[in-house]
Amino acid sequence: MQTIKLQSSDNEIFECDLAVAKCSATIRTMLEDLGIDENSEDEVVPLPNVNSAILRKVIQFCTYHKDDPVPSSTDDDENKEKRTDDITSWDADFLKVDQGTLFELILAANYLDIRSLLDVTCKTVANMIKGKTPDEIRKTFNIKNDFTPAEEEQVRKENTWCEEK
Amino acid sequence: MMNYNTNQLQIRNNNKYENFPQSHQLITTLNGSVATSQTLTTTATFNNNINSSASNGNANVAGSEDEISKKLPKEILLRILSYLDVVSLCRCAQVSKYWNILALDGSNWQKIDLFYFQMDIEGPVIENISQRCGGFLKYLSLKGCQSVGDQSIRTLAQHCHNIEHLDLTECKKITDAAIDPLSKHCPKLTAISLESCSLITDLSMKALSDGCPNILEINISWCHLISENGIEALARGCNKIKKFSSKGCKKVNDPALNALANFCPKIEILNLHSCDTLTDSSVRNITMNCPNLRQMCVSKCADLSDQTLVCLANNNPFLSTLEVAGCHQFTDLGFQALGKNCKYLERMDLEECSQITDVTLAHLATGCPSLEKLTLSHCELITDDGIRQLAAGSCAAESLSVLELDNCPLITDATLEHLTSCHNLQRIELYDCQLISRNAIRKLRTVLPNIKVHAYFAPVTPPVGIIAGMFVNPRYIDVFIQSTIDITEFSEDL
Repeated sequence: MQTIKLQSSDNEIFECDLAVAKCSATIRTMLEDLGIDENSEDEVVPLPNVNSAILRKVIQFCTYHKDDPVPSSTDDDENKEKRTDDITSWDADFLKVDQGTLFELILAANYLDIRSLLDVTCKTVANMIKGKTPDEIRKTFNIKNDFTPAEEEQVRKENTWCEEK
Repeated sequence: MMNYNTNQLQIRNNNKYENFPQSHQLITTLNGSVATSQTLTTTATFNNNINSSASNGNANVAGSEDEISKKLPKEILLRILSYLDVVSLCRCAQVSKYWNILALDGSNWQKIDLFYFQMDIEGPVIENISQRCGGFLKYLSLKGCQSVGDQSIRTLAQHCHNIEHLDLTECKKITDAAIDPLSKHCPKLTAISLESCSLITDLSMKALSDGCPNILEINISWCHLISENGIEALARGCNKIKKFSSKGCKKVNDPALNALANFCPKIEILNLHSCDTLTDSSVRNITMNCPNLRQMCVSKCADLSDQTLVCLANNNPFLSTLEVAGCHQFTDLGFQALGKNCKYLERMDLEECSQITDVTLAHLATGCPSLEKLTLSHCELITDDGIRQLAAGSCAAESLSVLELDNCPLITDATLEHLTSCHNLQRIELYDCQLISRNAIRKLRTVLPNIKVHAYFAPVTPPVGIIAGMFVNPRYIDVFIQSTIDITEFSEDL
């Protein structure tokens, strides 16, 4: 099986299947556009935006998902039902990490352009918001309430129309 | 270390490699944040008890202060919010000033479905939404929001000029006065449902015709006041219509259908359920002028004859769905024509086409390899032999997944034996098929373990006295008694 070497921001080299690395559209484009020789033993793809801890997780995710069908580009954001209850148990387990790691994974998925990882990580954060009151959301993410009491009252008035009466 | 500001994080949309050089400056930042994330693990554990109420069995505990807003660029935060419903968005808007901006970003308010609130939605809510969304709103569903009145829709039309998709199903209070402002302010409207808005008249059709020439989909089912005049006006102005539904509109007659045929050649989906005065002549015009017709429902249009089927067969080779329940004049001849020419048929509802026989099934078996769902309920002349031919046909091995045979009194256990060749069969309806035995169903299940079988069995040969005291389907009792008599006669013959 053909492999490729990836280098993390902290200079760790990861050797992984070419098919796994190609889950990343960014890496695919790099290989195509820059003519990096896929057969060369010594070629190393530098990924200066991803540290080794996160890259290890990303490779783990892509290895598990490498045979998934590629979603067609037509069912893009607009018309698709935005579900968040369809996270598989493997993905849910995989994402049982602290918030810092979760956000780093989102950034890595965005930079490496791995749609499935970006979707599932964003859904996970969305699920952490759903069903919570404003104060619970603040606590969950340690966000400071910077409204003045008057502003807070105004914002509350504008946004409680959809709450149950 | 944790005070780096968000501007430094220019990663946003750096998906393409072309942007890569510019992101080199990020290396240091991100190297910094590597260290950050490692230290954070401890911080997170430290904060654990504060946030334990919020964590739902998930290891996602809060990190340093407002890490989410500092670490993630706006585009990604918006992407996360795009997964939220209206209620969650409104709560996010109350979290902080930055989150207020994020939550009220127009990108979150393009598509709103208020179906779940229904009765609670009143004027002020629509006004609030209209002002909040303004030109961003593209999709609004007020399905079932029965308190919504004309004034609300007027406000909506005035603020949300770019709306494309509006579902007003069961907004029973609205009248023509609501549609008029829509036609004046919302030229981009492409889909509107007025289903069960029973006060709507021809005036609304005229208004839509004048102001909304881009309509592709319109549903006026059960708007029983709309007549041929309204349909003709609509058809003249809205030539792009692809999908038209007028279920239960008794005044949608031959002239109305002729107008659609003349002015709307792009129709692909047509639902005329219970428009019961329609005749073959107007359906012929539709089939001839709308070559893209793919889905057609004329169920309960009992005046139609085989002519309709022949026209469909000759002019609409791409037909995929045909619903003709209760068209009891249809015969094997009509379906022979269909089977010959419409090889893409996937779903057919032939309930109560009481004249059809096994011959129809033979034609479908040879001509329609894509057939997935076939309804033959109350087609009382169908026998095991028809099912045998269907099961040996081109659709049997892979396509056929649903077969409804309830109230087909002649089919027997042999039918189920034939069906074992239909490997993709998911569901079969056998209510009131008196000659089907439990045993045969059990056998079918051993071959097709995942199949859903719906059948009804009365208690096994109960003494007549007990039947009287039990809750048994009366129809079954009739047949039961009848068959008892049959058996008696049969034994006498012996």
